[in-house]
Amino acid sequence: MATTAVTSAGIASEAPRSDFGRVLAQRERRFAAALLAPAFLALLATTTFPLLFLVYTSAFRMDLAMPFTNGFVGFENYQVLLSDERFWTSLLVSLVYTGSTVALQVIIGLALALLVMDMKRGQGCFRVIAILPVVLSPAVVGMIWRTFMLAPEFGIVDFLAINAGLGSKNWLGDPTLAMVSVIAIHTWQWTPFAFMVLLASLASLPEDIYEAARLDRASAWQRFRRITLPLLRPAIVMVIIMRTMVALTAFAAIFTVTAGGPGTATEILNLYAYRKSFTELSIGYGSALAVALLIVTIIISGILFAMRRAK
Amino acid sequence: MSSQGQVSFRNIVKMHGEFAALKGVNFDIKPGEFFALLGPSGSGKSTTLRILAGLDAPTAGRVLIDDKDVTSTDARDRDIAMVFQSYALYPHMTVAENIAFPLEMAKLPKSEIAPTVKEAARKVKIDHLLDRKPGQLSGGQQQRCALARAIVRKARLFLLDEPLSNLDAKLRLETRAELKKLQRSLGITAVYVTHDQEEAMTLADRMAVFMSGEIQQVGTPAEVFARPNSIDIAGFIGNPPMNLVPARYVDGDVIIAGHRLKTTATTAGERDVVVGLRPGALRMTEGGLGARVDLIEDLGDTAVLDLDCAGTMIRMRVADGNIPGEGDTISITARPQDIHLFDPATRMRL
Repeated sequence: MATTAVTSAGIASEAPRSDFGRVLAQRERRFAAALLAPAFLALLATTTFPLLFLVYTSAFRMDLAMPFTNGFVGFENYQVLLSDERFWTSLLVSLVYTGSTVALQVIIGLALALLVMDMKRGQGCFRVIAILPVVLSPAVVGMIWRTFMLAPEFGIVDFLAINAGLGSKNWLGDPTLAMVSVIAIHTWQWTPFAFMVLLASLASLPEDIYEAARLDRASAWQRFRRITLPLLRPAIVMVIIMRTMVALTAFAAIFTVTAGGPGTATEILNLYAYRKSFTELSIGYGSALAVALLIVTIIISGILFAMRRAK
Repeated sequence: MSSQGQVSFRNIVKMHGEFAALKGVNFDIKPGEFFALLGPSGSGKSTTLRILAGLDAPTAGRVLIDDKDVTSTDARDRDIAMVFQSYALYPHMTVAENIAFPLEMAKLPKSEIAPTVKEAARKVKIDHLLDRKPGQLSGGQQQRCALARAIVRKARLFLLDEPLSNLDAKLRLETRAELKKLQRSLGITAVYVTHDQEEAMTLADRMAVFMSGEIQQVGTPAEVFARPNSIDIAGFIGNPPMNLVPARYVDGDVIIAGHRLKTTATTAGERDVVVGLRPGALRMTEGGLGARVDLIEDLGDTAVLDLDCAGTMIRMRVADGNIPGEGDTISITARPQDIHLFDPATRMRL
């Protein structure tokens, strides 16, 4: 290194330029950290801390109805949970609910996207109408379905069922129909999300490869299966991951429509944890249920992300 | 030579709303021929190719392939292979899968597909890249992959839409020659769209020159070069293109900038004409048309001179070693058979 002549203004010449760059980069890093800190702290306070507190609570017996029994119990809540039949039932309901709603959202969303792609006019209009359910609060959606759509005799769905000769059904009172109803409601509200993502993805696929495929004598079905589906795969997997995480933790719509009933027919794990904590006031066991849901969600997301990375 | 792959266009019209992209196009392509559709951008050559492929439907007229009317036949039933300007490779498939795709669609047994794919890849020299995805290939390799996909299924027609336009200059020249050899060895009818007249001239057995939605001339490259049908073609073909100079025709002679040149025409009378003079057909002579050398573009073996003939700009190509200096005054002439006459009103050849 020759003259490391650093002037008073701090401008290095020739060789020390890399030193200068390092100082600059360090300063930049510090500035970036300073900018990041508020958001980081807020996240820490609102997500990480409650989560850790939840795990902490799950190791206690915290029964607000019988406070004299409270105390540290270690893994006892989890041992109870493993032999709790209602836990396993609600886990199964959660999985059925998640699996069917996500599958329906992807299938219907993809079908709609393919249809709309071929629409010559009114695409914009269709998109605006389609996005409406997404912007509604799930609680509002639940109320709408319970009153306007599924109410016996007066609800649109029941009215249609009567006119179709199926007769009036107890949509929210029959265990199977209640499950079908809450799945339909969630699908109705969130299919537009899948539709929008897949439509955007479809629109970005080059036109010419479809022309090439036509000349290569691929039928419409072959073009869909061999070209569209593989090229949409990243978008489809992303939609599945995002919707699965949301469906596993769904709450408001089911809560307003059936509140988990009749009996425990639509009681997903989330609702069971809520009922345990805030209806039966068994906070400790409720926390253990919530942690169990967290673990299930992490495992399923992990599997889905691994699938995404796989070829 | 193949006995199939004969193409006829009968009065093909293509409207885009009010705009006529094709205004009644007629031509015939013989089996085994390398036929170029040449024209500036927007002249309708690509539209013509897409109609032939079945990717677009004509507004009126009929398309015949091997004497069968295919106007309303879908692209997948026409037995046509095509190389797109963008190559249109399937991005999620490997080179081998791309080339195999048309064979799979034709339900060829699996045991036959692999060797056929290898053979096609070998013909275009990409047999070492079969496991790569298109995104991992250079432009030239992608182009070859598209070619292989087109030739692997022995279709009766081979369409190429400006296949060389995305390659660099050197690769374009190499591929051009290989393309011609490939077409000859396959004996397949090829229809080639290009805006590059040099490509059309070197590749095509015959070509159709498009101008604003119409074919203005069909012929061999030599014919079109030697006897352009219109002022537009004359100004399009050749590098540098033909000089087009307004002049007066008087009893078989033309008068340019006060100088009289003999032509092969024998009609008596007097009229305004546009004279076409190829830069290479001009020569220096004593007592010819006086011109001042404005600019010299030296191309190595030849040079192109920009000449000012009493206000009229004329370009002339001269061989090396015979180049005057800039600012010199020279005198030029052309042989009668090298003087092309056009009607300034109809813009057609006289």
